Amino acid sequence: MARYGMVMDMRTCVGCQACMAACSTENQTPFWSEKFRTHVEDKEQGVFPDVRRVQLPRLCMHCENTPCLSACPTGATHMDKNGIVLVNYDRCIGCYACCIACPYDARYAYDGEDVDKERELYGKNVSHEMPHVDKCTFCVQRLAEKLEPACVATCPTHTRIFGDLDDSKSEVHKLARSGKAQPLNQGLGTSPKVFYIPS
Amino acid sequence: MTFVHQEVWHWQIATYLFLGGLGGATFAISAIIHLFEGCDRKMVSVAVMSSIAFLVIGTVFLLADMLQPLKAIYALTNPKSWIFWGVVFINFYFIAAITYVIPLLEAWPKLEPFIRKIPEPILGLLERFNNLAALGGSAAGFLVAIYTGLLISAAPAINFWNTPALPLLFVISGFSTGAAFLLLLSTFSDNEGAHKIASRLEQLDAVLIVTELIILGAYFNFAMFLPTGARASAEFLFHSPVFIAGFFVAGLIVPLAIETYSIFFRGHGNEGRKSALPILVASSLVLVGGYLLRIYVLKAGMFQFPW
Ligand code: SF4
Ligand code: SF4
Repeated sequence: MARYGMVMDMRTCVGCQACMAACSTENQTPFWSEKFRTHVEDKEQGVFPDVRRVQLPRLCMHCENTPCLSACPTGATHMDKNGIVLVNYDRCIGCYACCIACPYDARYAYDGEDVDKERELYGKNVSHEMPHVDKCTFCVQRLAEKLEPACVATCPTHTRIFGDLDDSKSEVHKLARSGKAQPLNQGLGTSPKVFYIPS
Repeated sequence: MTFVHQEVWHWQIATYLFLGGLGGATFAISAIIHLFEGCDRKMVSVAVMSSIAFLVIGTVFLLADMLQPLKAIYALTNPKSWIFWGVVFINFYFIAAITYVIPLLEAWPKLEPFIRKIPEPILGLLERFNNLAALGGSAAGFLVAIYTGLLISAAPAINFWNTPALPLLFVISGFSTGAAFLLLLSTFSDNEGAHKIASRLEQLDAVLIVTELIILGAYFNFAMFLPTGARASAEFLFHSPVFIAGFFVAGLIVPLAIETYSIFFRGHGNEGRKSALPILVASSLVLVGGYLLRIYVLKAGMFQFPW
């Protein structure tokens, strides 16, 4: 049993969006409708002449106090033993209560048209057989094979650091523990498991 | 910090919220009037049948908006979710409302043969539990009306929705639309009692509109206080002509003026019954206003994202 989490080092992100591409192919998410499990926000900070651009990669925060899970009437949204928040596609009715409840814009509809398009692109080998609400899974299928999530493995600048927050030897544990990396919107009390090192 | 309009729930859900509040409140008000004031069974039965229809249509809109409506039964899994409670309240409501209305339908001679087909012991039982069904159904109707607000207030990052004022606003507005619908119905009834009830309903609706105005004041005062998503939502509404003219002026102020005039200046005449036109206008405006309120509250919902 682990408590998986991620640290984003905003000092090093160059906004190449390789993570978005890697995630889309790994998880067959509907890039054709511009829906992604992970995004890279391109932000301008400061006031002229002291301005700069900042990249903020984001994904599901796998909140410990999980508003999407509380809002889900069907139990489709659940947390596995490793603290990963998942959607059971079979049970999801697509009522969107979770999308309204999520404070981090981490969910979207994998709708009927997306399912058709996926079948067209991937043939029989599809991961989304029915419409449902979709979100990041920390690539559970890769974790099962002792691989890191696709976005982490792909990131060329080591912006994304993944590991077990409970393992005192892990980099994520140290960064989160020292306070060097902080979660977003802490005031909401959702206790995210994704942390950010400010740029 | 960015404020982004929610793109998840649209007019279909607004329709569901509107019909939920309208249906729940129509039942609660008519059953309570029937219990405590007594009024003609024909009007009550039409009111109850319409309230059932409102909730059925509302539920159809909710289901139509889902990705997998055929699996909707799964919604009875997680009691932490408001949708779970919505399903419970609505089903409880249906059972109580149907139990309550069947004996009332005897007031319609044309329906007699159908009601005769129900075995005598069951009919007797329905008769016996009529008052209980009226009270239970009213409670369920109230819960359905307040649930419509609780459902959308469970949104931690949509500040404008995530407030206790919203369920209050929706329940009061729901009861106001319920009273308005019953007023509309009363204009079609030629029964003397119906006109006495119409005056009571008019008073009730006026009080509800005043309460709604007070809640709206408090709500917008809260929303404008800090530069959050709630302020962005409130500003969006202030700049929406349909919200201001359609909901606020035509849906609240005008009907309140008509009703106040009718209560204070036309109530003591000897004309016996009031002319139907002002009632028709005022109650139709309240109904349209109630629908616009839901549509615009949903439109105004803005996520406040930390990036
Ligand atoms: S970020 Fe959103 S989807 Fe992910 S666990 Fe938190 S509330 Fe749920
Ligand atoms: S859309 Fe699916 S996962 Fe989301 S709340 Fe509804 S049933 Fe649960």
